[in-house]
Amino acid sequence: MSSVSQTSAISFVPDFFVQMYGYREYLKQSVLRDLRNKYKRSFLGYIWTMLHPLAMMSVLAVVFSHIMRVPVKDYAVFLFAGLLPWNYFNSTALMSLHTIRANARLFSQIPVPKYIFILSLTFSNLANLLFALVPLLIISIVMGRGVPLTALAFPIVLIPLFLTVVGISLILATSNVFFDDTLHLAEVGLNMLYFMSPVLFHRELLPGWITQYLVLNPLFCQIEFVRNIFYDGVLPDPQVFAINLCGAAFVLFLGLFIFRKSEDKFLYFL
Amino acid sequence: MRLATLRNEPDSAQPSAAQPFAFKLSNVTVAYRSYQERPSSLKETVIRFMRTGKMKHYSTFDALNDVSLEINKGTVLGIIGSNGSGKSTLLKVMAQVLKPTQGRVVVNGSVSSLIELGVGFDPELNAVENIFLNGSLHKKSNADIKSRVDHILEFAELHDFARTPIKYFSSGMAARLGFAVAIDINPDILIVDEILAVGDERFQAKCSTVFQNFLKSGKTIIIVSHDMSMLEHTAREIVLLSRGKIVFRGDPHHAIGMYRDKSYETALQG
Ligand SMILES: Nc1ncnc2c1ncn2[C@@H]1O[C@H](COP(=O)(O)OP(=O)(O)OP(=O)(O)O)[C@@H](O)[C@H]1O
Ligand SMILES: [Mg+2]
Repeated sequence: MSSVSQTSAISFVPDFFVQMYGYREYLKQSVLRDLRNKYKRSFLGYIWTMLHPLAMMSVLAVVFSHIMRVPVKDYAVFLFAGLLPWNYFNSTALMSLHTIRANARLFSQIPVPKYIFILSLTFSNLANLLFALVPLLIISIVMGRGVPLTALAFPIVLIPLFLTVVGISLILATSNVFFDDTLHLAEVGLNMLYFMSPVLFHRELLPGWITQYLVLNPLFCQIEFVRNIFYDGVLPDPQVFAINLCGAAFVLFLGLFIFRKSEDKFLYFL
Repeated sequence: MRLATLRNEPDSAQPSAAQPFAFKLSNVTVAYRSYQERPSSLKETVIRFMRTGKMKHYSTFDALNDVSLEINKGTVLGIIGSNGSGKSTLLKVMAQVLKPTQGRVVVNGSVSSLIELGVGFDPELNAVENIFLNGSLHKKSNADIKSRVDHILEFAELHDFARTPIKYFSSGMAARLGFAVAIDINPDILIVDEILAVGDERFQAKCSTVFQNFLKSGKTIIIVSHDMSMLEHTAREIVLLSRGKIVFRGDPHHAIGMYRDKSYETALQG
């Protein structure tokens, strides 16, 4: 009977991009609205939201470079470059848990593909990530390092990260409709992932046999890519990048698969 | 959801003279979850699955039970029945926001629906922002929406409240805005739940003018209401629902008579 499940799974990913284009006006509007709310229509609002990551980062930088004496040059830049992609992933994943419930009023009246709400969240947070670039660049310059030319590759480096974030958020959002302990499990999982990702440390600080397993996590290399272009001043290894992009596409496919197979049941559980 | 249906029913994308029906529902059942049980957690589900091999733990009840209904184009169909008989559920299935547990729905033409009060709006946003939100979810362009805002506010007579968040609207005001937005799409089929009852007389008069114009252009209207005298004037046919089943469909006068003297309740048992 169900016409949606008759659509073959192969078309989930192309469909997704077609709908993303079709709903561009909605996406644009809701990202702008989120930004306006966050930055409260003022430059001061923007400065204010920069203070939080700056403060957190400074504390971490002092603790790790001076107290724990991590042997990394310009640790603040190293750390911030790793925190950027991590925070994007982490906050989107956690916020995605509320997305379906928060938009239930809309999709119980207007027939829309429900993942556009997850997309709007990922784009809003992407915009925040771009704003958070400013303090990173400022710190780099203040510390006398300058900004490497490779930083221009940022839009490309973002692609696999974006796909991974969308995929994971789709899975978490689906799970949260059906299972009320999703938040709890997601928090535990994200904490574990944090320490298994090269945010605080460099992969060379780890024994090789561990790294070989940790890189299976697509986020591991994605964090390194961002650090490559902002801290090391080199482009990601093309082969590693290509493999990672495939991995990210798979995560997106998995997320879409799980979401599309369950979205018809959402209204029965909300 | 809608897209998929349309793709599988190529004829249904455009209303065509060859197809005289607006809706065709075949054996539609909506089985909601009964709320006796606690919400489920992933942990419990996994443990239950390992013990019993079953995922589902909740019992269900049928808000709609094997309903088949064909609705002709160009008619006004009223739906009546006591509270909880499944009227709003039926509308949600027709509006293609709720996928039935079983059965098929074929829609012939574009649908605009106004099902529950305030649903379809974001309560935090003001009237204008909500008009934009709603328009963008219908894939309208920014310019398109902009050109309609004044018209919508004027119809709803809400110009003075354009910048008031919807959460501070009275129920009548929310109904006006909802109705104005719903008809502005100029759909082939209009689905309205009982919310019009909260509008004042002046607005109700306005609504019936709209209904007349709709009918003149061969469009279809489906109304749920508890206002029998209104239905007696407006509806050409009435469907009487009881506990998720259609007990009568046909002459409005007869349907209302049955509903009033409760003879349908015995009809259902017999
Ligand atoms: N999301 C839901 N989950 C579980 N049960 C639901 C849900 N929505 C509706 N129901 C149940 O389905 C039945 C039919 O509800 P529905 O809203 O269709 O009734 P109705 O005929 O519109 O009633 P009213 O005249 O009060 O508007 C009710 O028993 C209601 O409790
Ligand atoms: Mg109702």
